Amino acid sequence: MEDETRLAVEHALKSGANYAEARAQRDVGHTLTLNNGVPEPVTATRRLGIGIRVIVDGSMGFASTNSLESSQIRNSAETAVKIAKAAARLISTPSKLAPEKSWEDKWEAKMKIDTQKVSIEEKLNVLYSIEKALSPENVKVSLPSRILLLDDELAEKFYLNSEGSRIRGIVPRISVFFILTGEEKGKGTIQRMRHEAQSRGWEAVKELDPPAIAIEEASMLGKMLREGKQPPSGEIDLVLGSEVTGIICHESCGHPQEADRILGREGAQAGESYVTREMMGERIGSEHVTIIDDPTLQNSYGFYMYDDEGVKAKPRTLIKNGIISDLLHNRETAAEFGVSSNASARSVAYDREPIIRMGNTFMKPEDHTLNELVEDINFGVYMKSFMEWNIDDRRYNQRYVGLEAYTIENGKIGTPVRNPILEVTTPRLYASVDAVGKEMEYSGATCGKGDPQQGAPVWTGGPPIRIRKIRLGG
Amino acid sequence: MNRILSACKRLGVESVVVGFTKSRDQMVRFSNNSVTVVNSWQNEVPTVYLASDGKRAACRIEEQDVEIESVARELVDSMRVMPRGDVDFNLPKGPFTYQEIEGIYDKRLTEIDTGLVDAAETAINSARKEGAERVSGVVTSGSWEHFVLTSAGAEGSSKGTGIEITVRGFATSDATGQGISIATNLNRFHPAEAGSMAGTIARKARGGTAGTPGKFNVVFGPAIFADLVDRAADSASAYSVDLGLSFFQDRLRKKVASERFTLLDNGSLPNGPGSIALDDEGFPTGETLLIGKGILENYLHTSYTAAKHKAQLTGSAQFEGGVAGMVPTPRNLIVEPGEEQFEELLDRAQSGLYITNNWYTRFQNYQIGDFSTICRDGVFEIRNGKLGNPVKGLRVSDNMIRILQSIEMLSKERQWIRWWEVPTPTLTPYVLVRDVGITTANK
Repeated sequence: MEDETRLAVEHALKSGANYAEARAQRDVGHTLTLNNGVPEPVTATRRLGIGIRVIVDGSMGFASTNSLESSQIRNSAETAVKIAKAAARLISTPSKLAPEKSWEDKWEAKMKIDTQKVSIEEKLNVLYSIEKALSPENVKVSLPSRILLLDDELAEKFYLNSEGSRIRGIVPRISVFFILTGEEKGKGTIQRMRHEAQSRGWEAVKELDPPAIAIEEASMLGKMLREGKQPPSGEIDLVLGSEVTGIICHESCGHPQEADRILGREGAQAGESYVTREMMGERIGSEHVTIIDDPTLQNSYGFYMYDDEGVKAKPRTLIKNGIISDLLHNRETAAEFGVSSNASARSVAYDREPIIRMGNTFMKPEDHTLNELVEDINFGVYMKSFMEWNIDDRRYNQRYVGLEAYTIENGKIGTPVRNPILEVTTPRLYASVDAVGKEMEYSGATCGKGDPQQGAPVWTGGPPIRIRKIRLGG
Repeated sequence: MNRILSACKRLGVESVVVGFTKSRDQMVRFSNNSVTVVNSWQNEVPTVYLASDGKRAACRIEEQDVEIESVARELVDSMRVMPRGDVDFNLPKGPFTYQEIEGIYDKRLTEIDTGLVDAAETAINSARKEGAERVSGVVTSGSWEHFVLTSAGAEGSSKGTGIEITVRGFATSDATGQGISIATNLNRFHPAEAGSMAGTIARKARGGTAGTPGKFNVVFGPAIFADLVDRAADSASAYSVDLGLSFFQDRLRKKVASERFTLLDNGSLPNGPGSIALDDEGFPTGETLLIGKGILENYLHTSYTAAKHKAQLTGSAQFEGGVAGMVPTPRNLIVEPGEEQFEELLDRAQSGLYITNNWYTRFQNYQIGDFSTICRDGVFEIRNGKLGNPVKGLRVSDNMIRILQSIEMLSKERQWIRWWEVPTPTLTPYVLVRDVGITTANK
């Protein structure tokens, strides 16, 4: 891979680029799915190619090919330069990159057991063990639809740029994903998606105990169906579980603090942001709200040590004690803001340009147990998990519909409630957080952004949090 | 392709589909009236889909040095450890004659420089002329050639081109509008009109005030209605039905929509942006009536799902790497038009909302169809049958079946929509729906 990236960069410079980088990436993997106990097609992934990005007189071009033949690499490098030059006349803000140290390094997410060497039979057996665990005797609920999915991949990248960086990275990833539909006569159906994912080898699946998770989820669906009542509405206190905290941090903090959105670069697709350059240092939440994005978390689904512009990864504090702090930057937005990149440029495949992405976004824990969060509430709702959610493209107006949820009565978790709706603005939500728990949990997720779409692996997470006097009900 | 097919047959596989796609695409992205990046992609990708005893396996081989036979061997080994499938099925038995589809190939779009920067500039200028301060968007062109060879005697190819633009005008940061033009040839591509629409909606959205929750008569613009139609077509895929993720499950031959609503999928539509002569199992594409006058008439099928549902093939098989293998997928969705003008829809609504666009549709329960989606770009009150003031901060929170059943009027005018949020090319009118649930956020 190194020879090919070197050829690409050298040829791009020779063709007129002021700056050039190339990333060769190989992805291998498998996806296995059981649909109500019947295997869907086993699919294998074999992908290798090279992406070349150049800047020519302030114009950025990207070209890719899945041929690593020298002639094709040269052709792609020339194409990147040619298309960048052709666009130069319609550029009012020339692209430039913030200065960055050059690195020569290798990194990898360690795996004890190479997932690519685990047989399909053993992988399939994991899904069958989940299917068996979901028998009606075990879970006490009818599950007319059970989609169980196991996905593994190994991504190997070699990055080289014209400033001297030369970085090899390897990331194995593994995901277990369920969609379960529970049904109870006279009570209708209820659906749950759950995604457990890590950047590790096969040992992650062994430690995860997927059948136990599936039993827990299915049993919960039964309970919600049998006992779930109409949720209360009006202004009440809420406790949100880790899963809900995580999606909130991702959607209404991570995304709006992507600097490319703030500059309008995603205006026609993923949208812009309610956060403006002038809001840096402004209070957006209570002092309990500290939100971090950290791609260096070991085993995390969004793990990386260097981003796809060759910048060394580090944690970023997006909101610190309620104050807007860091933004997520690549080298291009960092140059516009007059700061350094914080290694947020990611690309999911050889044929996608690197764009600003989160890694693992979570709320920093404080010191309350779940019981302590609940005990001060006279009447409220505990929303442990969710199914439906969305947020506007400025990341201001958001909605989370609870799946596993309960009343809180006289300081204790009470009876199940169905589909409580939290629909709230970002400042109101963060300003209403008055206590943060200490028990951290993370969920795997695939974050969509870019055109063409790039589904990036991330973790969302946090502890349970308490929010006061907020309207429940859509 | 013959070599791969023979190798798979030698490994004892009953049914083999080998696909091969050559494609070349370019994209210019722009924001704040300025180009931000230009992309170019060039790919040659074989695919293999295997089936024996109802067991299935698939691979998209995007690595040119890999020995395809060794990948096939790995897939066959995978199938050996799988139990017999739930359905015995056969690939469509060829040979077939494939029709040439009119208007889907324009040689001018096969070159690298297809004037995308000019198109971006035209759209930006049109949007600004109508009142947008800033303009963002993406313009893409490309060409593709697709080959299919199967063990059941189907063999054929199809080629096409495309060019499309999505333009978003910003009159202020939260007064926005979108315009779209998609086509298979340059003559039908209209970036100036797309820009003009984006700018006009953005200008009119200026000064929007917070909307109120409740039930409203809503006139959906083509962009938002295309998204809803796309979700309906997903639900009409037999794959979604089999996964338990369809709100059309167990509703075949039943009334799922207003009798005014008819939805077709047509993979061989002349000038259709998604048209192709044959599907990925080598079966000729054609027209499928999904919903006829409100009745759910057909699901979309592959040979596997058709055997499972005892249904006819619909020419909808599409190779999807990753999770699915081969799945039934719509190509060009077509909503039959009504007879009225847009203004007559407003008049019939009398009071309510006109929503131009949306994004981020999510379901609470795919089987039931409860969902919400965020209104994006211009939303306007309808007062006394006329367009009124702009409003903002709204979300459609309702049920898909209820919305389809509450369609009251469709316009004569239709637009083709495909963009970031709507993957399938969809030709749809403006549509009036009664009593749509609208919610707002707690501020």
